[in-house]
Amino acid sequence: MYMRHKQFNRDTCYKIVSVIIIAILAFAFAFPLYWIIIGSFKTSTAINATTPEWWPQEWVLDNYRKLFSRQVAALWEFHIPFTDISFAGPEVPAAIRWLLNTVFMAVVAMILTCITAAMAGYALAKKRFVGRTVVFSLIVCAMALPKQVILIPLLREMASLELYNTIWAVIFPIVGWPFGVFLMKQFSEGIPGEMMEAAKIDGANEWKTFYTIALPLIKPGIGALAIFTFINSWNDYFMQLIMLTSTKNLTISLGIAKLQAENATDFGLIMAGASLAAIPIIVIFLIFQKYFTKGITMGAVKG
Amino acid sequence: MAKSNSMSKALVRRETIAGYAFMLPSLIFFLGFVIYPMVQCVFTSLFDATMNREDIFIGFANYVELFQDKVFLGALKNTVIIVVVSVPVTCIFSLWVSSVIYDLAGPACSAFRCIFYLPVVTGSVAVAVVWKWMFNNYYGIFNYIGTNTGLIEKNINWLGDEKFALGCIILILLTTSVGQPIVLYVSALNNVDQSLVEAAEVDGATKFQCFWKIKWPQIMPTTLYILVITTINSFQCFALIQLLTSGGPNHSTDTIMYYIYYNAFKLYRYGYGNAMGVVLAIIIALLSAAQFKMAESK
Amino acid sequence: MKKRKFMALALSCVMVGSLTACGGKDTGTNQTTADPAPASTEKAETPAETKENTDTQTAAPADAAQAAEITLWTYPIGSWGDSATVDGLIANFNAVYPDIKVTVEYLDYTNGDDQINTAIEGKQAPDLVLEGPERLVANWGARGLMVDLADLWTDDAKAVIYDSVQNACKSNDGVFYEYPLCMTAHTMAINRDLFEAADALQYLDEATGTWTTENFQKAVQAVYDSGQAAVGVVYCGGQGGDQGTRALVNNLYGGTFTNAEHTEYTANSEENVKALELLKSMDGIDFDASLVGGDEINMFCNSTFAMAFCWNVSQEKNNLEKINFEVLPMAFPSEDGRPQLCGGIWGFGIFDNGDPAKIQAAKTFIDFMANDEKQAIESVKASNYWPVKDLGNIYEGDELMTEYAKFVEYMGDYYQVVGGWAEARTAWWNMLQQIGSGTDVKTAVEEFVTTANTATSAQ
Repeated sequence: MYMRHKQFNRDTCYKIVSVIIIAILAFAFAFPLYWIIIGSFKTSTAINATTPEWWPQEWVLDNYRKLFSRQVAALWEFHIPFTDISFAGPEVPAAIRWLLNTVFMAVVAMILTCITAAMAGYALAKKRFVGRTVVFSLIVCAMALPKQVILIPLLREMASLELYNTIWAVIFPIVGWPFGVFLMKQFSEGIPGEMMEAAKIDGANEWKTFYTIALPLIKPGIGALAIFTFINSWNDYFMQLIMLTSTKNLTISLGIAKLQAENATDFGLIMAGASLAAIPIIVIFLIFQKYFTKGITMGAVKG
Repeated sequence: MAKSNSMSKALVRRETIAGYAFMLPSLIFFLGFVIYPMVQCVFTSLFDATMNREDIFIGFANYVELFQDKVFLGALKNTVIIVVVSVPVTCIFSLWVSSVIYDLAGPACSAFRCIFYLPVVTGSVAVAVVWKWMFNNYYGIFNYIGTNTGLIEKNINWLGDEKFALGCIILILLTTSVGQPIVLYVSALNNVDQSLVEAAEVDGATKFQCFWKIKWPQIMPTTLYILVITTINSFQCFALIQLLTSGGPNHSTDTIMYYIYYNAFKLYRYGYGNAMGVVLAIIIALLSAAQFKMAESK
Repeated sequence: MKKRKFMALALSCVMVGSLTACGGKDTGTNQTTADPAPASTEKAETPAETKENTDTQTAAPADAAQAAEITLWTYPIGSWGDSATVDGLIANFNAVYPDIKVTVEYLDYTNGDDQINTAIEGKQAPDLVLEGPERLVANWGARGLMVDLADLWTDDAKAVIYDSVQNACKSNDGVFYEYPLCMTAHTMAINRDLFEAADALQYLDEATGTWTTENFQKAVQAVYDSGQAAVGVVYCGGQGGDQGTRALVNNLYGGTFTNAEHTEYTANSEENVKALELLKSMDGIDFDASLVGGDEINMFCNSTFAMAFCWNVSQEKNNLEKINFEVLPMAFPSEDGRPQLCGGIWGFGIFDNGDPAKIQAAKTFIDFMANDEKQAIESVKASNYWPVKDLGNIYEGDELMTEYAKFVEYMGDYYQVVGGWAEARTAWWNMLQQIGSGTDVKTAVEEFVTTANTATSAQ
């Protein structure tokens, strides 16, 4: 009994100390974000002070004003295919357009990836087709491939497809990246064969079987993939850097990176840009936090 | 026997058609924007290719040069260091954090989870620029804290010093990659069969034994998954390097990923860059295959 | 379920639609006509029409004879990097040529080259670019990407544009790839207040803006001893502003960067090695691989550093608000007090995008910006530099410009047109990084020269 008691104490001690350390670490993890937001409201004197102001003495909006007055772009543009007719939205600060571009890119990439990956993953898991192993091996090998590897050929390909400097040049390679297929294959393994057989006996064709039997079962997996793709494409700085050039076509990450290159030490302005880039996605994250964690966990269950 | 054989042949045909029909949308993108460029990459790596000039066939000369190129070998080394350091550290760190927080009260646990996940959602560019500021030699917060607490004697030029730059990059990479593993481990630990743990505790097992003998085997699949995603993640640190150090100082933070970009758009050596890409792709494919085999066997 | 199917369908439709849309949009050939714009002769003032044209994003009226849409990418050359100023200049242009729509993108010196290089590979190089011969002539020109500007370089133009500038704007085969607009001599600058406080002003000649190497050493030491730990910085985080570090090294003991014929790099000469060794050994001067020229300028302006090696009049003009001390522009120190400053010559080049109408429109633009009597002055003033031909005293009464004008006579050889320049630049800052992190100067310099000369001979 005494032994147990002592052990209990030691465990509690360990636990308390660990929690304290982790709390400190958590503070350190949150700090950069705090620093971005705080920095964006500081005066330039405070920014360049050798003694940092942990809490700004004077809050200013100068940095945002500077950010928004830099460049302008039409809020949206729409071109009717095969004609010369196009419509452009009102002129807004370019940063707003960048944000919109980024949202569009992330959402489209997410939807396309989910559709294609769900179908392909289902086929890989449930269809015993010729060449399945080859395709799957290719997918596994290509999964971890950094995009820099195919930088030059991809750039040339996009140029000849006339997709260079359009958001599609960023979206398509994301959709092509096979991680989603892999993930959905792992999920689809769990679809019970008997249910599919039963549907088939009821006269359902292949599409209907997928649609009515498989899809509802892998829905949580699709949710996980959606979240994963959304964050990944939001942060996929490299493809954006290579493929986009016009001010109106930039994404927010790229816009901030350019801001950084032009005004390397104007940290206030850069932090204003960084806040603009980070806050929307953080808000999304906080709102959907529960789904995020659930989605991420889902991905691993079968991984 | 014969009948069933022909049946299965028809079945195979049907399955194949259906299989590829379902694969088609995905295959278009995968073949079009991953495999086709990869084939191009292999092909062009045999040429001396540069901007606005016909490519000249040079066989394996690019590859030969590659393995004599000090900078490339350095970049290869750095890439390996990043992966070898960041993958285990991320895994161990996140396992430790999760093991401490998973049985805390609900709100506390999810608050921690949330905070550790923040750098992931903040976005690599925003993260890079704020760290650049914090590491700044003159008005960075690290030097301020360091010199004021006496940890460092005088200002250190973190990103401008060969001794520290790569370490700094790895540190930033770590902060942006532990979020997901922590979420995963927390849920995996919560799913561990509690009755087994209790039984072991009754038998007098220490916490550590309990963890090692009972929990560890049960969270093994999660660990493998984390290994895979962390490895992928470690290869994706281009943004940090491009924005923070451009591979410097003195190539000490060059990775193959960055060096390819550098060769392409600073030195105009497309063929050479592609040869590097091929080498990297082979390394990664082998690594993925090995990890996958490991996962299969478990 | 139904809804999702519909969404997928709708999405794919949108996708195909936008694909075509995006593909067609930026190549923008839909309204070019075979009849190109005549050069600068006619000047119809039609401001009303101009406004309409710049406002609508849609295609120009189909019946407009000289219509073309061109893109201009500018590096931050004075206020040519500032959209408010450039918009004004383009409004002037559009007042005369309402049918040529000019879209401007602003580059920076850190990523600008990568951006243009990717755009070239992406087959969307800009039509017009504003930069210097080292890029227009020695890099993109040499690679056959630029348009020969012979028809802009008329005999009249050759007669008025300074010879040294002319030579820099053409390739070794005598093809003109740049039509110059402005020039300057790059100087360095010191924080006069700090120098005064450290009693270091005695080491320099304020009237001529020169100092000897020996005095430079003494001055830096004096400022360092006065408590300013960071006097100057040999920035080498990238190629931005590298002319400053090159000029510093070359001037200290009279070294050269290339031979006189611009065929070979000579940075490994004894003089240069000695200069680098001196810099490495000086207190108060650090080799900093985390900074580029732009950072140095900013940090000089906020008094972090006591001197800047990446400087010229435009830097002072652009940063006036930030500076709260007296800036003293100086030539780079040299043994005999006779500096050889690195020049900058900026002008326009045209990328050959295969569309004669656009090329013609671009030429019209250049002609207007650089040759129109009234506009040329304004264009040059926007750069805050000096014209490449005699336009009279355009900076009458501008004290700052008068103060800096004295440096133009120290302008040295324009060696940046040497072959393999892009590679050599990259090798240069890599070499400085090596030296900064302790590699023996001689070894690093030899490696640099080998790399650079290999690049020269490869071209």
